[in-house]
Amino acid sequence: MLDSLESFFGNYYVYWTVNYFFLIYGIMLMTIYFSGVVLANRAIRRTKKKSTFLQVQDIVSATDIPSVTLVAPAYNEGMTIIENVKSLLSIQYPYYEFILVNDGSKDDSLEKLIKEFDLEQHDASFITQPIPTASVKSIYKSKNKKYTHLTVIDKNNGGRADALNTGINFADTELVICTDADCIIEQDALLKMVRPYLEEDEEEIIACGGGIGIANDSIVHNGVLKELKLPENLVPMVQVVEYIRAFLLGRMAWGEINGLMLVSGAFGMYPRKRVMEVGGFDSKTVGEDLELCIRLRIHMENLKKPYKVVYLPETLCWTEGPPDYDILIKQRDRWARGLWETMSLHRKLFFNPRYRHMGMLYYPYWLFFEFGAPLVEFLGMIVIILFGIFGWINWPFSLLLFFLVYLVGCLFSTAAIFMYVKNFDHYTKPKQIVELLLAAYLEPFLYHPVLVYGQMKGYYKKLFRIKSGWGAMTRKGFKVSDS
Amino acid sequence: MRRLQKIEASFADIVSKYLYVSSNDSITIKQINTTLKDVGIKPRNKNNIQYLIHLMIRTQRTILGGHFNKLQQLYAQIPPYGVSIGKINSRNWYRKARGIREIYEMNQAQYFDEIFKLINHKNIYVRREAQIAMVVFSGWESLRFLPYLKKNMTLWQQIKIVEKLFDLHPKPKIKWLHRAYETDKLFGKKLLMRIIRKYELHGETGYILDHLNHEDYEVRETAIYCVQSFGLSSRSVNYIKELYDDIPDATQQGQLLDYIFENSEMDVDFYLRQLYSDNDELKLNIAEILWNNGYKEKVQEFYYEQYSKATVNAG
Repeated sequence: MLDSLESFFGNYYVYWTVNYFFLIYGIMLMTIYFSGVVLANRAIRRTKKKSTFLQVQDIVSATDIPSVTLVAPAYNEGMTIIENVKSLLSIQYPYYEFILVNDGSKDDSLEKLIKEFDLEQHDASFITQPIPTASVKSIYKSKNKKYTHLTVIDKNNGGRADALNTGINFADTELVICTDADCIIEQDALLKMVRPYLEEDEEEIIACGGGIGIANDSIVHNGVLKELKLPENLVPMVQVVEYIRAFLLGRMAWGEINGLMLVSGAFGMYPRKRVMEVGGFDSKTVGEDLELCIRLRIHMENLKKPYKVVYLPETLCWTEGPPDYDILIKQRDRWARGLWETMSLHRKLFFNPRYRHMGMLYYPYWLFFEFGAPLVEFLGMIVIILFGIFGWINWPFSLLLFFLVYLVGCLFSTAAIFMYVKNFDHYTKPKQIVELLLAAYLEPFLYHPVLVYGQMKGYYKKLFRIKSGWGAMTRKGFKVSDS
Repeated sequence: MRRLQKIEASFADIVSKYLYVSSNDSITIKQINTTLKDVGIKPRNKNNIQYLIHLMIRTQRTILGGHFNKLQQLYAQIPPYGVSIGKINSRNWYRKARGIREIYEMNQAQYFDEIFKLINHKNIYVRREAQIAMVVFSGWESLRFLPYLKKNMTLWQQIKIVEKLFDLHPKPKIKWLHRAYETDKLFGKKLLMRIIRKYELHGETGYILDHLNHEDYEVRETAIYCVQSFGLSSRSVNYIKELYDDIPDATQQGQLLDYIFENSEMDVDFYLRQLYSDNDELKLNIAEILWNNGYKEKVQEFYYEQYSKATVNAG
């Protein structure tokens, strides 16, 4: 076995092709990251300047702003459902509806909601379902005047995408915002999210995402994030850095050239009309957020209408990241499967000039560098092991190269952390900044290999058609303060 | 920092003495200018001047009525040494737009002509601020510029113009509104409908009704949104019912259906006509209205008829 591998890789052309492949791939990735830093910096500055002409307090006092419905699915979240709903009800926005979709929970979520919010059952016989979903059992509205903007839809289980579609069907506002019931949303988040729609010019905004942050071990009071703390454990701590880097350098940069293909499912705003036109979220994939965004883009390309997908750099939604390696692997396994499904579903985009930049640049980027990166890393590890066994590695040079790549990686993380700290006041204490930097520098050794393992596990399942769903995501819950 | 605090304290003192003047504590413009100079408001101290502008705008936002007008008079006589007009000449869009904002916030109408040139500027923020300045300076008369605007007006631009017009010129001048009706610009139509809504101009609702079946989705959307704030006569509601079938979007028809239901007597014939029409998307809504208003048998009759029409493919 080893002999045949040695003779295969020992071939002059194969040997150098393998070497150059990894070198060119690495250089391309570094170039993309570097462009990301430049573009993100420009985007943040521009967003800040623009916001001086449209301040949150101006939006609050305006009368003609679009109405928004927030849709949050919940499945077996009885433990925290009351706190979560109270949190989502306290969001500031003048024209705001909140639809909680109970997606066939088997626990006492519904009973708790009925009792706490004084809910009254309404007839669901005449509910229209332009997007087909699992059947709706009942609709509940509160008798308490304090909660007139709350609707609870009780339906049979159909999964997250199906539950979101039910909420979107029922909503009658111009904009819908999709989130998870266990997310903590900043009080003024909707006022900020609606900004791009108010400033929409020639290009229609088809999706808008906000930054998502990790808030493990933070303190929550009355559904509001009272004190943002850095997580105590390494796994969620590294995720803080990972999210900052991904949202700031990745999404902001792609947003700057209108190349965003993904608006996170945890916090994304869409015009209801367009979502209805494309038939809502696809309940057959576990990467429904990415899939919807791509489908919306394709729809606009087909209509030949100018459009934009935008991202706001500020963290507006806080979530609890996987607290340990086990759950992290499950999460990344699911994300990898979602990515596989979406890439495969929209493969017609690949270098298809009909879809302009999306076909020629954005989709190939996603295929080569988002979908392909774990594969390349995995192959890289195998090649290093094999070449090491065959004695073909120049170790001093390799170690130097490794150190250089590590330094460049640290540089990007450091740039992202400092850009975040400079522009937003979430992590301001020197101790927090030091901890973030430390986590960033440890990431390549203690976190990234696990990530690649999780992603490869997802690909393996897809390759060999092993059936797998969302996977249980056990969460500790935020620390709740009574005072 | 201490310098800025000194400027703030002096400015607060000037404003209070000027606005709440008593015979033994009055202050002249000359004294004001000297005081400002003493705390560092001089042409070479750009940061100090910028801070004074910031204070002037912030103060003005918190004052209403007679004092507001008095403050405007004061602002016309004290320095910011043309700093804001200097910004307008900048090539940087951000400085340009901020300059315009400062000028209209301080009501320096003498710069009207310079700002007017910018109402079609290529940068959206510059032209938006310039258009708002026109409204601040000219009020309702500024509507006459509507046909000359070449670039699209965003929703926020429309909202801001309506809000400014309402805050500064609460008394409607219908003459200018009627002249503006001639505009063929879609954003212009939307703006005018929003103005009618904001000022609750019941006599002008005809303009909104005429746009309910407009070919453009967003114009229709604005018309439906605006009409919902008015209670209309039965004649007008009948007119809406006539237009109803011409609206090509089911969601918008649904919104109008709700409006018709809430603002008129139960018109069984109208709802039955819709129930038996080819428009499937709203049949459930219509059935619900009939069902909940004492016409259960009509709904049942309709559904039995559907079953009888169905063909059974057996075998």
